[in-house]
Amino acid sequence: MLIKVISVSFSGLTTIRIDVEVNIADRGLPCFDIIGLPNKAVAESKERVRTSLINSDISFPMRKITVNLAPGDVPKEGAFYDLPIAVGILSETENFKIPKESLFFGELSLDGSLRHTKGALLAALFAKENKMKRIFVPDESGNEASVVNGIEVFPVKTLRQLISFFKSETAIFPAQFRRENIKENKNSFEFDMNEIMGQEQAKRALEIAAAGGHNILMTGSPGSGKTMLARALPGIMPLLNDEESLEVTKIYSSSGNIPPGGSLIKSRPFRAPHHIISQAGLVGGGTHPQPGEISLAHRGVLFLDEFNEFPRPVIEALRQPVEDGKLTISRSLERVTYPSRFILVAAANPCPCGYLHDSTKECTCSKKDISRYRKKLSGPILDRIDLHVEVPVVDIKKLEKGLRATEQGESSEEIRKRITEARICQERRFAGECIHTNSEMKNRLIKKYTSLENESKTLLLHASKSFNLSARSYLKIIKISRTIADLEKCENIKTKHIAEALQYRPGIAE
Amino acid sequence: MYFLLVKRIKSDFIDIKSSEYPLLLKEIKDPPEKIYYRGNWNSELFRETLSVVGSRRMTGYGEVITERLVSEIAGSGITIVSGFMYGIDAVSHAASLKAGGGTVAVMPCGIDRIHPENQSDLYSKIIKNRGLIISEYEGEMQPARWTFPRRNRIIAALSPALLVIEAGIKSGALITANYSLKYNRKIFAVPGPLTSSVSLGTANLIKQGAYIVTGAEDILNLYGKFSLQSSSKKKTDSNNSYITKLLSNEALSVDEIARKSSKSVSEAGADITKLLIRGRIIQKGGLYYPAEGDI
Repeated sequence: MLIKVISVSFSGLTTIRIDVEVNIADRGLPCFDIIGLPNKAVAESKERVRTSLINSDISFPMRKITVNLAPGDVPKEGAFYDLPIAVGILSETENFKIPKESLFFGELSLDGSLRHTKGALLAALFAKENKMKRIFVPDESGNEASVVNGIEVFPVKTLRQLISFFKSETAIFPAQFRRENIKENKNSFEFDMNEIMGQEQAKRALEIAAAGGHNILMTGSPGSGKTMLARALPGIMPLLNDEESLEVTKIYSSSGNIPPGGSLIKSRPFRAPHHIISQAGLVGGGTHPQPGEISLAHRGVLFLDEFNEFPRPVIEALRQPVEDGKLTISRSLERVTYPSRFILVAAANPCPCGYLHDSTKECTCSKKDISRYRKKLSGPILDRIDLHVEVPVVDIKKLEKGLRATEQGESSEEIRKRITEARICQERRFAGECIHTNSEMKNRLIKKYTSLENESKTLLLHASKSFNLSARSYLKIIKISRTIADLEKCENIKTKHIAEALQYRPGIAE
Repeated sequence: MYFLLVKRIKSDFIDIKSSEYPLLLKEIKDPPEKIYYRGNWNSELFRETLSVVGSRRMTGYGEVITERLVSEIAGSGITIVSGFMYGIDAVSHAASLKAGGGTVAVMPCGIDRIHPENQSDLYSKIIKNRGLIISEYEGEMQPARWTFPRRNRIIAALSPALLVIEAGIKSGALITANYSLKYNRKIFAVPGPLTSSVSLGTANLIKQGAYIVTGAEDILNLYGKFSLQSSSKKKTDSNNSYITKLLSNEALSVDEIARKSSKSVSEAGADITKLLIRGRIIQKGGLYYPAEGDI
C-alpha cells in the first residue's frame, strides 16, 4: 500500500516541495528504511517514529516499510520529516484517509508528542504559495505558522490527538494569528535615550544614522557609554512594518531563533557578536549555509564593539553585504541568498590603552602604537561608514551641574517620531528608485536628489579644503546633510545642514 | 624597521674650525667636532635662534600653545631649533615652516637616518623650505639611549634661550633645560594645568626661576622684537560669537558648548563647523580652543 504525504525542504529561505512516499509492503522481511539522500537527522527519524508510536500505544506494523523522500537527488536535512512519515504509516495501520492538500511538518518526541520545530513559518508560507488548504505543525510552532493567513494552521500536540482528529473523534482548532500573541512590544527596548546622561552629539549622530540608514563609527574611551548608546539605537528606529517583520521572522524561523510559542517579530533586531566571531558566524556559512549575524541583524542593528579587535578577514567579509544588503553564500551543493540590510554600528577605542583624549586618565600609548592601531581600521570598510563621532567620557560632576540648567534629554519615543517622518520623506523621494534611504544613494542619485543651495556649495568647498576631505568623504557629507535636512523636513540643503554634517566627517576623532 | 635610511647625497659637514660653525655652540665645553647636515647650510639661520622642547606625549593644550607661540616667533624671523621627535618637537618644526620661518632639527642618530621614520614628510618639508637637519653623528648610526641627552646639549647650546612647553617630571625636555642652565641660557616655561602630568615639569621649572610665558612677546622682547599680532587681535575680538566667548574661558567639547549655551547640539555643531572653517577656533583631541587669544 503506497501513501503520499506532502512536506517541504529548505535551502536557505527558499522552499521546495517534498513528497514523502510511505510504502508498507505485505511481502518481504519486516524492516524500516528511509531513502532519498537523508542526512543523519532524517535517518534517525526512523527510531523516533517507531518509539513514539509504540509509546503512544499504537502498534508498529511488523512489515516492510520503505520511505522515499522525493525528489531523490536533493539532500534532506532536519528532523521535521518525523510527522509526515508517522502520518503515512498511521493512515495505513489506523485506517484513516489523509486529507488532500495538506502539508505535514514537525519533529516527534519519543513520548508521542510533537516538539517545536524550526522553519514552521517558511513551511506555512510554502503551503500558501502552493494553494494548499491546511498545514499540520507542532502545537508550540502554531503561533509562528499562523502568521500566514489564508490557510488553516492545525497545531498538533500528540500523535494520539491527530489520529482521533482524523477519525473525527476530537477537534483541533486552527491557530488564529493574534497581535496579542506577539510578546515583544514596543516598550521592551533595553535603554531609552533619555536614560543616557550627556553625549548629546553621539545621540544626535545616532538619530541621523537611524533616519538615513547610515553606518556609524563611535570612538571613545572605555566606559564612555558607546555600548549603551548602540543598544538604545533600535529604540529610536521606526517600528518594523508588516513586510519587514515577515522578512525578519523568516530568517529567524529558518535558523531556529524563534522560541516555542513565539510569533511574528515586531521589534528591530539588535545583534552584538563578540570579536572572536568567525567569518561564517558573521556573514553566514556552513555546508548547508546558515544565516550569519549580518542576516540576523537584517532591518535592525549590527553592533561591533571593539571594532579593531575583529580579525581582518572577518571585517573584510562585511564589505559586500554592507553595500548590497544581501549576501549569496555559494557551496558546491547549494547556493543560498540571505538578506542583510542593517545599520552597522562600530565602536572602537581611540588607542590601544583606550585613554587618548581622555580628561580623567592619561594615555600611555606611543604615537607608533596609535598609528598601528588605527591602521587596522583604515581601508575599504571605513569607506562604507558615513558617520564618525567621538564619544568622550562623561564627567559626572560637571554633567549634573550642566543638566540642572537644561532639561532632561528627549525620550526615544520623541526621537522616533522625527525619524519616522524623515523615513517617509525618503520613501517618497525614492519611490521610483529601488532604494529606501539616503545612505543607499550612489553618485548618480546624489546628483539627482540633493539640490545644494549656492551658499551650501561654497561652504562645502571651503570645508573640503580646510578639512582635507577626499572625494568620497565629500559625497558622504552630502548624504548626511540630506538626512539632516529630511529630519527638519527641508526640501533644500541649507548651509546649517552641511555645517552640521561636517561634524561627523571622517577623522574628527583623531 | 623603525629607522629609514636617507639616500646618501654627499657627506656634508661643517668643521669646528670653520668660520661657518655656529658661535653659540662653540662656547660650550664639549662642542661636536663636526656637524653633519642635510639641506643648504646657511649660517644666517643660527643668527637668532630659539630652542623649543617639550613632551612627546603632548596634550591638545600643548599643541595649541606650541602652534600659537612658535608661529608668531618664527614669523618674526627667529629660527626654531628642536629635536625632530614627535609631539611638541614636530609641531614646532611644522609651525615654524607654516609661518615661513627657518627651522633646525637636531637628530639623535646618524645624519643618513630619519628618526622617527614616519615623519619623513616633515623631514623633506624642512629641507625644501630652507631649513636644516643636523647631527653630530655621521652615517647610518642608530639612535641609542645615550645619544638623546647628547643631542639635547646641542639643542640647548644653539640658542640664547630655551622654551619648554610641556614636560613630564622626568623628561628629556628637563634634561635640555638643565643644559641650558649650565650654559647660562634663558629658560622660558609655559604654565599648564597641574592636573596634567606633562605640566608638572614646567611647573617645577617655574618654581626654580624660569620665566613664565604668557605670550609670544615675552620671548620676542628678549630679541628686541615686538609682537605684530596684538593690534590685529583686538579687531577680531569685536565680532565674537557665543562659542568663542565660551572657549575663551576653557577648552570645551561640542556637548559642553551646547549645554552651556542652551542650544541643541545640532545647532551648536553647525556653528562650530563654520567657525572652524573660518579659522576662528581650532580642534585638538576632541576639544575646541579659540584660535586667537592672549596666548
